[in-house]
Amino acid sequence: MAADGIATSPRPASRLRMGRLWYRVKGSPLTLIGTAIALLVLFVIMAAPLLAPYPPDKISLSARLAAPSLQHLFGTDEVGRDLFSRVLFGARASCGIAFAIVIISTVIGSIIGCLSGVVGGIVDTAIMRLMDVFLALPALILAMALAAALGPSLFNAMLAVAVVRVPAYVRLARGQTLSLRNRTYVKASRSFGASPAYMLRWHILPNALSPIIVQATLDLGGTILTAAALSFIGLGAQPPTSEWGSMVSSGRNYFLDQWWYVTFPGLAILISAMGFNLLGDGLRDMLDPRLGGR
Amino acid sequence: MSLISTILRRLVLLVFVVAGVAIITFTISHLIPGDPAQLIAGDKASAQTLAHVRQELGLDKPVTQQFVIYVKQLLSGDLGQSLRTRRPVAGDIALFLPATLELGIAALVMAIMIGVPLGVLSAIYKDGPVDQAARVVSVAGISMPVFWFGLALILLFYVKIPILPGSGRITLGIAAPPRITGFFLVDSLVAGDLKAFWSSLYHLILPAFVLAFANLGIITRQIRASMLDVLQEDYVRTARANGLSRSAVILRHALPNALIPSVTLLGLAFGDLLYGAVLTETIFAWPGMGSYVVSSIQTLDFPAIMGFTIVASLGYVLINLAVDLTYMVLDPQIRELG
Amino acid sequence: MMLLRRLPTFAAFAALTAFTFAGPSWATDKDVLVIDKAEDPPTADPGVEVSNNGYTLIFPAYERLVKYDGAKTEVIPELAESWTTAPDNLSWTFKLASGHMFDDGSPVDAAAVKYSFDRVKKLAAGPGDMFPTVKDVVVVDPQTVKFELSAPFAPFLSALATSAGSIINPKAQEHAVNGDDAKAWLAEHSAGSGAFKISAWERNQQITLDPNPHYAGKAPAFKQVIFKIVREMSSRRLQLENGDADLIDQVPVDQAEAMKSSAGVVIESNPSLYVVYLYLNNKKAPFDNPKVRQAISYAADYKGLVDGVMQGQAEQMRGAVPDGMWGHDPQGMQYSYDLEKAKQLLADAGVSNLHISFTYSQADSAWEPVGLALQASLAEIGVTMDMKNVADTTKRELVAKGDYDIATGAWTPDFADPFMFMNIWFDPTKMGAPGNRAFYENPKVTDLITQALATVDQKKREQLYIDAQKITNEDAPYVLLFQKNDIFAMRSSVKGYVYNPMLIQVYNIADMSKSE
Repeated sequence: MAADGIATSPRPASRLRMGRLWYRVKGSPLTLIGTAIALLVLFVIMAAPLLAPYPPDKISLSARLAAPSLQHLFGTDEVGRDLFSRVLFGARASCGIAFAIVIISTVIGSIIGCLSGVVGGIVDTAIMRLMDVFLALPALILAMALAAALGPSLFNAMLAVAVVRVPAYVRLARGQTLSLRNRTYVKASRSFGASPAYMLRWHILPNALSPIIVQATLDLGGTILTAAALSFIGLGAQPPTSEWGSMVSSGRNYFLDQWWYVTFPGLAILISAMGFNLLGDGLRDMLDPRLGGR
Repeated sequence: MSLISTILRRLVLLVFVVAGVAIITFTISHLIPGDPAQLIAGDKASAQTLAHVRQELGLDKPVTQQFVIYVKQLLSGDLGQSLRTRRPVAGDIALFLPATLELGIAALVMAIMIGVPLGVLSAIYKDGPVDQAARVVSVAGISMPVFWFGLALILLFYVKIPILPGSGRITLGIAAPPRITGFFLVDSLVAGDLKAFWSSLYHLILPAFVLAFANLGIITRQIRASMLDVLQEDYVRTARANGLSRSAVILRHALPNALIPSVTLLGLAFGDLLYGAVLTETIFAWPGMGSYVVSSIQTLDFPAIMGFTIVASLGYVLINLAVDLTYMVLDPQIRELG
Repeated sequence: MMLLRRLPTFAAFAALTAFTFAGPSWATDKDVLVIDKAEDPPTADPGVEVSNNGYTLIFPAYERLVKYDGAKTEVIPELAESWTTAPDNLSWTFKLASGHMFDDGSPVDAAAVKYSFDRVKKLAAGPGDMFPTVKDVVVVDPQTVKFELSAPFAPFLSALATSAGSIINPKAQEHAVNGDDAKAWLAEHSAGSGAFKISAWERNQQITLDPNPHYAGKAPAFKQVIFKIVREMSSRRLQLENGDADLIDQVPVDQAEAMKSSAGVVIESNPSLYVVYLYLNNKKAPFDNPKVRQAISYAADYKGLVDGVMQGQAEQMRGAVPDGMWGHDPQGMQYSYDLEKAKQLLADAGVSNLHISFTYSQADSAWEPVGLALQASLAEIGVTMDMKNVADTTKRELVAKGDYDIATGAWTPDFADPFMFMNIWFDPTKMGAPGNRAFYENPKVTDLITQALATVDQKKREQLYIDAQKITNEDAPYVLLFQKNDIFAMRSSVKGYVYNPMLIQVYNIADMSKSE
């Protein structure tokens, strides 16, 4: 994912980094595992209809709460839906939403942050004070309030978490912009009369990109958790959508007798969040010499 | 930047935050369909009754006027009345907050007790098996869905191998200690009630561990990173060259310096604590702010939601201010950098 | 390392504490009853409270003029010894029994009765709606009180047996602050003449009831009754199974099924008057067409819901008035699960490519599976249905404004009279929030139910209500799903519980005891 983003960048410097990256990934088993999990999740998202033995919404009131068996690898839920199929399809909602959130907040946050840094002055101050307010709001609470206001749905939960995540990217991008702005070559181009837009496009954005991408990968894991937590309290995915958090939520009423109901969706959350965290962690160590280079 | 200007700037921010939060939550509360009067008067209330209750709540006034009233109340420290518990929100928060703080502090202590040694060890044996294991543990911590982890631990330690309590703050039958601070551990010691003390401590283990586990990774990583930095410093090398034992150097010289940057973590941890508490308290039937706010959200009890949000954001800003100030005092370099 | 060296000590300490506190804790005392509740009751104020959760406290703490007779829905004297009705049914005179005292020792007299009813009226919260026609309450002498009504109200006596009719000690007024008629104080305290009084209330944790030393009846077997608030069902169940609780509230069917095999646990499952049904928005196309409404009624898998979702702990409805209440029509027409017929009806109505929404909340755990099953059935006949899960207050507001297609409903009667169903669900003057949530109007039905309310003779009223149900079944403004059992669980050592369908979540703790 993140590797793709860097690879498609046309700049030679990035291509060079990409080669070094892969060399390092090979040397770190945990990062390899993370990469493997991330790829597996992507595969499941795309191939869910081919892999799932049943339609995820097919209910069968007579086969409810069946234990795992060859027919139902992960058992069935309270209306007799196949949990294996639901966990597979759940990857679409649970991880798909996390991708969407991270992309939205990264793009919006980076643009605002870079602009704020380039323009400076009173606009910068105003933006940063507003972000301070957002940062001070307890993230889950703001997400809950927004989801409650716009009505609970997967889309609204996505929007809510994205809004909560924006300030972090604004700060990151602004910090990068400020430090880049004072580099000699940027100063030089400004003295030759380059417009802020030009500077943003050709100097700031490309160079601020890699830390932002690392942060985004790291955030994926956390975002999967937040989205699942929102669904767990009933503010995210709506039935009959299969989503891991809401599956754990309905399953907890049965966890004493039907252990499989909460176990598998929960494991799915844990494993995929871990995959992205390991991958992001590895990427960061490689790109940030202060933490990983030694 | 000087201490005083930092404090002043933060206090201005505080005003912004509270105003922002008040406007956001108030707007949201008036956007959501849902008649608070029905919550009070019941499912079958007649139109007259509903109108009467609405009037009592001041909901018949124009929205702008309602906002002015709300702000006036806010300025006098009145957070309004909860629709669900029918009690003043400020009173409810004062009632439930200590339970959450007690859980959070216990979790923080636990996370530090495990995370600091783990971080130190992985820095010393960098890239060794301990380091790798610590890394897996910390990534698992960050990736763990708290709500699921709680259920799993209850199933394991309360149902299958019943050695730990799975819900509540104290064993039923043991009276809660007389309320002074609201912290059961403190109150029971003050009252000299050891039975209540042990029982409260015992009830803290599972939920605090669940919360601690989520913060463990962050602490371990931070300690590891700053330990690595410090171990490179000249004075550590000198001390080692002067013949001081390895553990003496680490404990007396390296660790204290490595701990300074970790102070900032306290601010982070507070945010995580609030977030984690909402879910952990639901699972463990912990009578704190988390369960209070979840119930409030489920019933759209807006005065309670707004009160909680305002208090939580205030706390967040104040804690971060305190953390930054401590950091500035501890590490003079920062002051110059601003 | 030092920390590592200390580890064994810590482990030893942990093991020690584990031994001290582990195991199936204490066996609860024989004279203490522990009840686990799912939610903290909002208040214990009879003048304000409208939830069964609050009734749990109000019923044992207060007495009323009349009470339900054991398991029956007829009323018998409690505080009142006898009563008479004026020939025009516009006034009722009650003679109070002597010897009843509040928990402070002061006698229950006519002034207390007047105080209580005046307070309910003045507060004008939900309970006020229970006595819409009470004009005035007059103290005739200390032992006699007279109610004056503005219009005859057939279910009046039955309404007196509800929580709203609880008699409060006028001394409670001393706790009034800012003219709130002691609302703040009575929310968490009691001032009644019942067998128990509230002695402590720790919000969201537990409520303790102690016996009222001045109670006129037989002294209860319990020295203390403790209500613990335990939100998670699994925790409630574990506490019951471990003997940490004697009785647990609100047990879902699946849990009841699983607990049947637990040693020492008794499942109380009793037919109730709690009905689960769906509102169809009759004011909005396509549900303004009775054929479409009938089609939806044929698309519900009643047997699958009763046997699957409700585990057989429910019964398909047969008309609006449930089984167990007079006015129920045992020969009433029932819809069946018949997708062919549903398809045909939709074709007859000339609708195709229907896209509708299903608005529900989590307030009743059956609503979501009901919606999922209906969604699947409707998909087979080409109807797309979106599920809209909202907060309960939001659902009510949307329903009140008529901003929905299909919405979920659940209904229990406040007093034992078919009025609670027929004159509310189908009365065109009560459209929206007050109860006619389908926005249904049929002049013939309106006529029949109006006539029934003005009639005194129960036989005649019953016939009128049955005739009305014949029409409403055909018109299908609601999808009548099922009436479900009230289910809770207790230790087998708990004796003396009597179920009354009008008193859900109310336990007759004054007459209960524990063996062992």
